[in-house]
Amino acid sequence: MKPFICRSRCDQLTRRDMLRLSCAGLVGGATFPWLQAMADQASQPAARRACILLWMNGGPSQMDTFDLKPGHKNGGEFKEIATTVPGIRISEHLPKIAGMAEDLAILRSMSTKEGDHSRAAYLLRNGYLPQPPVSYPTLGALVSKELGNPAAALPNFVSIAPYRNLNPAAYAPGFLGSQYAPLIVGEARPGGGSDQDDRNGDYGLTVDDLSAPSGVSREAVTARLGILNSLNDRFVGSHPDAPALGYRSAYAQAVRLMRSDAAKAFDLDEEEDRVRDSYGRNRFGQGCLLARRLVERGVPFVEVTHGGDGGIGWDTHTNNFDGVKQLSETLDAGWATLMSELKARGLLASTVVVWMGEFGRTPQINTNAGRDHFPNAWSTVLAGGGMRTGQVIGRTSDDGMKVEDRPISVPDLLATVFSALGVDPMKQNISNVGRPIRLVDPAAAPIEELVG
Amino acid sequence: MNVVRHLPSGAPSCHRMAVAVVVCVSLLLGLPARADDAACTPAQSESVGGIMDVAELIAYIDLQLGASWEKAQHQPAPLADDAEYLRRAHLDLIGKIPSVSELQAFLQDARPDKRARLIDELLNRGAHAQHFANTWRNSMLAGTPENVASEQLLRQFHTWLRLRFTVNMPYDRLVGELLTAPLDEGAMQVNRMAAQRFVPTPAAFFQANELKREQIAASTSRFFLGVQVQCAQCHDHPFSHWKQSEFWSLAAFFDTTAPGVAEAQEASTGSANAIRIPDSDVTVEPTYLDGTRPDWDSGASKRELLAGWMTRTDNPYFAKAGVNRLWDHFLGRGFVHPVDDLDPANPPSHPELLNEMARQFSLHRFDLNYLVRAIMQSRAYQLTSRSSGSTDDERPHFARMPVRRMTADQLFNSIVQATGFREPRRIARPGAPVPEMATAADAFRNRFADSAVPLTEAETSILQALTLMNGKLTSDATDLESSETLVAVTEAPFLDTPQRVEMLFMATLSRSPTAEELEELVAYVVAAEPDGAAKTALADVFWALLNSAEFALNH
Repeated sequence: MKPFICRSRCDQLTRRDMLRLSCAGLVGGATFPWLQAMADQASQPAARRACILLWMNGGPSQMDTFDLKPGHKNGGEFKEIATTVPGIRISEHLPKIAGMAEDLAILRSMSTKEGDHSRAAYLLRNGYLPQPPVSYPTLGALVSKELGNPAAALPNFVSIAPYRNLNPAAYAPGFLGSQYAPLIVGEARPGGGSDQDDRNGDYGLTVDDLSAPSGVSREAVTARLGILNSLNDRFVGSHPDAPALGYRSAYAQAVRLMRSDAAKAFDLDEEEDRVRDSYGRNRFGQGCLLARRLVERGVPFVEVTHGGDGGIGWDTHTNNFDGVKQLSETLDAGWATLMSELKARGLLASTVVVWMGEFGRTPQINTNAGRDHFPNAWSTVLAGGGMRTGQVIGRTSDDGMKVEDRPISVPDLLATVFSALGVDPMKQNISNVGRPIRLVDPAAAPIEELVG
Repeated sequence: MNVVRHLPSGAPSCHRMAVAVVVCVSLLLGLPARADDAACTPAQSESVGGIMDVAELIAYIDLQLGASWEKAQHQPAPLADDAEYLRRAHLDLIGKIPSVSELQAFLQDARPDKRARLIDELLNRGAHAQHFANTWRNSMLAGTPENVASEQLLRQFHTWLRLRFTVNMPYDRLVGELLTAPLDEGAMQVNRMAAQRFVPTPAAFFQANELKREQIAASTSRFFLGVQVQCAQCHDHPFSHWKQSEFWSLAAFFDTTAPGVAEAQEASTGSANAIRIPDSDVTVEPTYLDGTRPDWDSGASKRELLAGWMTRTDNPYFAKAGVNRLWDHFLGRGFVHPVDDLDPANPPSHPELLNEMARQFSLHRFDLNYLVRAIMQSRAYQLTSRSSGSTDDERPHFARMPVRRMTADQLFNSIVQATGFREPRRIARPGAPVPEMATAADAFRNRFADSAVPLTEAETSILQALTLMNGKLTSDATDLESSETLVAVTEAPFLDTPQRVEMLFMATLSRSPTAEELEELVAYVVAAEPDGAAKTALADVFWALLNSAEFALNH
């Protein structure tokens, strides 16, 4: 055991050194030409892969979306409709998605053990159960570290309309550190009002504090930054420690974002009304549009949370059918338009789209016409990314109570996503406790029907 | 060497007012007022057991570290000047930078023992208990599965800790009280009636661990003993000797309870308290980590028994874990790193020093302030953070003060200190819309939320930078009409331009500008004068200072 420990602690030093180099490289590429070369290479659009996570906050009902049980008493009131792939049938409230089933892989045999929102969100989004004191990074942080261009004007991880209250750690970069933290826009908060509410314009999907206060002229901003840079250069020069280097690099990135045209990505008014309408005039729909704009501009990881009014709409303990119908309509427009626009731009093959929540819902309908938390047998959907889509993986029993064929674990799911992104899921990072941790639990196996 | 330190330790803390505060809070907590508190009486330098007073411990620390620097053939960094020391001491003890008047007073103070006096003065401020409560609460809860429902409990936990730091409660007693805290309905705030009474309680520690015995046990042993048994929860520990059965034997001291359901107070016997390891047929009895078993005849509860064992003076881990954590707080890194991993496979950088400090800690009845005084007057703590060049990277630990990030609270409170910002009062009127609930402090903490990333690592985000550059707090602070500091500096008729620039430096960076800086910035302000924009130029300078790495970091 001992040599292993030694190695991990040495790796930690290496990581810190790397961090210094990369921070320094951000400020002056000339100092480390090879780093600049790497950055340039990473920004080649051809090699660029991306991931869009559509996060269904609260746990979407598989029974009423992608794994209906018509004819069984657990089935509920929704009807199944045919899709463009013979034999694959999904909910009647997802007609546009049904029209692009050849681009979907429906995983009907998700099998997990965690039925608590907070822990399950962490499990699905970070890939591990919470195990203090290790701070596992969220998926977006892991992907942006692997695929991001550190010199890009736009951040490498954008989280749109997240509702973090259930578990903030499930949205955090954990031991990777804040340079991999998401840029958050349109954060939903408890009691945050309706999803359709656009009183503040663009559904709040703008970057806070992106411009200087109104009284401060452009020239003043330049002058201020000039003084700041000179102060910081002096201080960092005599204090070349990681926090100082990281501080300066965060400022460099923020200023780049403030000054570059890249921030126009957040200006949805640049799109035609017709396009904006087709995504749906609500926070999720416009969030999908923003995701497309960001991926087009090379952002490797974007997540869009769909939580409906109140942020956790899929948690349909009561009135499941009214709730899921409404959520599905919003979902259908946003998701299907996103997929078809990506496809039209030739981006779908390099973009993995993940549809998931923290768990599924009970097949039995409770006395409030609701469905409760159910991690035993539920569905997620993968799309794009050059995977062999147009198929269903796994099967649940007629009553929906158990997985009958090909159980899929969370690590399996995430390993598939990483593989489709061209990243080795067994790659290691050094954690905050000084031990190497793989991107995905070593027990994982990518779903070979899709990426094998 | 002009390190100032040889003050009879602790004497100034016996100010009348400080004693009065201690007595008051002691009564509140039901503690005996400790007039003979080790904080007020220098420890007796009896040779028996080799108990060391503060000065002797400082000398010992300096000797040990000096020897390690010599062995590594490295000169330690030069000593920090008074301004650098003052800023660091303020941030570490009371969680905010000094004010301009505090800075001036300290610089003008000619007494040779002023650093020792400063420590005692800061330890007696309410802000110290506040800052330590923030710090300890955050690190105790770091990495636990967070739960939004515990907002109220977090405040109660904070208050609970603050009251204890106010009286410098001995660390063993603090931990004992935490581990044996009642978890009844009142403490857990499970009903509305209970929620209306604000009772200080550490229940958040249990709630953040989901009231599950395995989580509580893992957090307890990790935080208070530096023993990481949690990996053994699912399988035998791959990195050390902890076995799965040992983990669950420790977990058996706790109950997994529903919120507000009281656990059995009386522990009966070992076998009656046996639990089954989940997903197995193995049952284990509550057993201490050293393999010994509790004396069930004492009639104490399981948690009392465990707390008693943990805080025993001969527990090999407890005092060391406490010393290591405190050293980490002040020096940015523990003798053992990561701070809560005292595994034999992860040896300390200075084993002899850690052992002796731990021994002295327990000989001093776990007096935290005794350690604080010694650490803050040690040479290592008084070294500058300024690097002298590339050879620094090979320097042994503690040969230069590392640069640390501030916590969200430190940064917010420092901005408040520098700018004179006051939270506007929020008044709810009947019929009027509910005022914005989030305060500026809340919004700020939200964006700068503390992570588990060590403070010596990089962790500034783009959003944080944008907030500091363009956010409301900074905008108001650099607005020529609404900023208290700026108005004072720009309007004071008795100041000339260089003095105004100097005031802004002292308000933010707690130092005077260098000649070079002064020349540059005065030129910038003077150049704006013909346009009548000198004040605006000073606002620009203030903005840049507030956004600087030197302002936002602890160094």
